[in-house]
Amino acid sequence: MSADEQKRLYEQLATAVFELDEQLTKLLSQEVLDRGYDAWQAVERGLLEGVNRAGRLFDEEEYFVPELLIAADAMYAGLAILRPHIKTHHSGFNRRVVIGVVQGDTHDIGKNLVRIMLEVAGFEVHDLGRDVPPQKFVETAIAVKADLIALSTLMTTTMERMGEVVSILEAEKVRNRFKVIVGGSPLSQQFSDRIGADGYAPKAAQAVELAKRLVGLSNAA
Amino acid sequence: MTISIRTETREELTPLERVVLALQYKKPDRVPAAPLVCGASCRVLGYSYDRWSQDPKVAVASLLAAQDLIEFDGFLTLVDLSVEAEDFGQEVLFPERSTAAPNFDNPFIKTADDYIKVKPVDPRKSRRMSTVIEIVRGLVEARGDRVPTMGFVYGPLGVLSQIRGHAELFKDIIRHPDRVLEAVHTINNVLIEYAKAQIEAGAHAIVLDPLYSSASILKKSTWVKFEAEIFKSVADAIRDAGVPVIVHNCGGGVYFDAVLEHISPIAISHAYPAHGSASWKHHADAWAKKVVSIGVADPAKLGHEFSQAQVLEDCREQIETFGIAEGGFILSSGCEFPPNGNLLSARTMVQAARLYGRY
Repeated sequence: MSADEQKRLYEQLATAVFELDEQLTKLLSQEVLDRGYDAWQAVERGLLEGVNRAGRLFDEEEYFVPELLIAADAMYAGLAILRPHIKTHHSGFNRRVVIGVVQGDTHDIGKNLVRIMLEVAGFEVHDLGRDVPPQKFVETAIAVKADLIALSTLMTTTMERMGEVVSILEAEKVRNRFKVIVGGSPLSQQFSDRIGADGYAPKAAQAVELAKRLVGLSNAA
Repeated sequence: MTISIRTETREELTPLERVVLALQYKKPDRVPAAPLVCGASCRVLGYSYDRWSQDPKVAVASLLAAQDLIEFDGFLTLVDLSVEAEDFGQEVLFPERSTAAPNFDNPFIKTADDYIKVKPVDPRKSRRMSTVIEIVRGLVEARGDRVPTMGFVYGPLGVLSQIRGHAELFKDIIRHPDRVLEAVHTINNVLIEYAKAQIEAGAHAIVLDPLYSSASILKKSTWVKFEAEIFKSVADAIRDAGVPVIVHNCGGGVYFDAVLEHISPIAISHAYPAHGSASWKHHADAWAKKVVSIGVADPAKLGHEFSQAQVLEDCREQIETFGIAEGGFILSSGCEFPPNGNLLSARTMVQAARLYGRY
C-alpha cells in the first residue's frame, strides 16, 4: 500500500464531492474499501474536505444553494458506503446536537445547510426534520444526551415555538444541560435574548462557529 | 418614554394620489406608508387565517377593516405563496392560525420524471387564483377610487418550488435543467393570464415576486436563465395592459441590476440592501434614484420586537436614508407584516410617515 496512492485517492474523493459528482464519489468510496484503506481517513480527507471546499466557495458566492446541496448529496452517498467500515469514532469532538424546524413550519433548507456544516465540523447530529413539536426537541435532547439544541424557522408565525422549547426545558429543570441556538430569516439577537436562547446566528457557517463556541465554553458532558 | 400618537383625519392627498406620485419620483404630501398588512388583517374582524385565505368576502372585509384601523396607503393581495401551487395540483395545508403552505411530505412533483405533470390551468376558474382575483375586485370596488390595490403574482420558479420542494428543485436545476425549464414555461404562461385577470378586476399595479433573484439562493446567471428571461413576458403583458409592474423580493442580496434589466419594474419592495451594497446608506446611494424603494423595515422586529417608540425611530431612520430618492420612496415592511404581529406597530409606521415624512 503506497501512501502516495492513498493520498491521491483521498484527493480524488474530495474533488469528486467538490465537483458534484455523486457517481464518482460512490465509485471512489468503494475503491477505498477495496484497497483496504482507512475508511475514516477517506471520510475526513476526502468527503469532508470536498464539502469544506464547496462551503468555502459558497461563502465566496462562487457556489450557491444548489451546488452546496448536491455536494452534500455526494458526501452522504460516499458516507453510506464508508460509514459501516469506520472502526472507531475518530473525530475527537464527540458533541451531540438535536436540530429541527419548529412546529408549524416546513421550510428546511436553512436547517439542512446547518446540519451538513455541523456534521462536517464533527458534531453528531440528530435531525428531527421539520414541523417538530417543542416537546419532541426536549425529549430527544434528553434521550441522546445532547449538548446543544438547534432550532430553525423561516416564518414569523412560528417563531414563538422556539420560546416554548426553552420554557419546557426550564419547566423540566433541565435547562442548564443544553445550549439552545436559534436561526432563520425573521430572527434576531434581540429575539434570541428575549426567549432565553443561548445564541443566534444569521448564517449557516456562523451557526457552526456559535455551536462550537458554546459547547467549548459550556464544558458540557 | 411616552409617545403621543395623533391621527390626522384629513390629509391633502388620498393614498392613491400619494402612491402614484411616489412611484413617479414626484414628492407627494408625505412619504406613503404601506406596512404590507395581508394575513394579519384576519385578526381585525376576528376571522381564522384559513377562512381568510379561502373566502374572498372574508378577506376583502378584513383588509378594508385593517385599512380603516391602520390607515395604510395601499392594499397588497398577497394571500400566501401556495396560491398558484395548489391550482397546479399541490396539496396545501391550512392552519387555523398561520399561513397556508404546501404539504412538502406530499409534493405534486415527487421525482424528476413528474415535471411533465405540470399542465396549464385557467386562473379565472381555478380555486385559489380565482379567489385572489375576487379579492382584487372586491377591494377595488369598495375603495379603488382612493386606495391603490396591488395584485400579486409569485414567480414561476417560486411556484415550481412549492410543488416540487425547494431543495429538490434546486438540485434539479443542475441535474435536470431541461425538465425544470419546460415546467417553468408552462407555469409562466398561466401567470400571464393570472396577471391579466387581476388587471381586469381593477388592480392598479401588479407585484411580481421573483424570490430567487437573490444571492442568498441562486447565482445571478442561474436566476436569469431559469426565471428572469421567462418571467419577463409576464411583466411585459402587465405593461401592455397599461399597468405598472412592481417587484417584491424579501430575500437577501437581491440582484437589483438583473431585476431591472429583465423585469424593469418601477419599484422594488425589499427587506435587505441590494447585492453588493454593504449598508442601507450604500444601497440608497447606488439605487434610490434608479428605482423606487418600497421598504425596508425588518418585519419581525416591526411586528414582534420593537416598542412603539422603536418603530417610530426605525421608520424615521429609513425615511432619512431614502430622502436621497427625492420622493421615490414608500415606507413599508420589507416583507409581509407578521400575521401574528402587533397591529399597533403597523399603525405606528403610518404615524411615523406623518410625523417624519412630510415633503
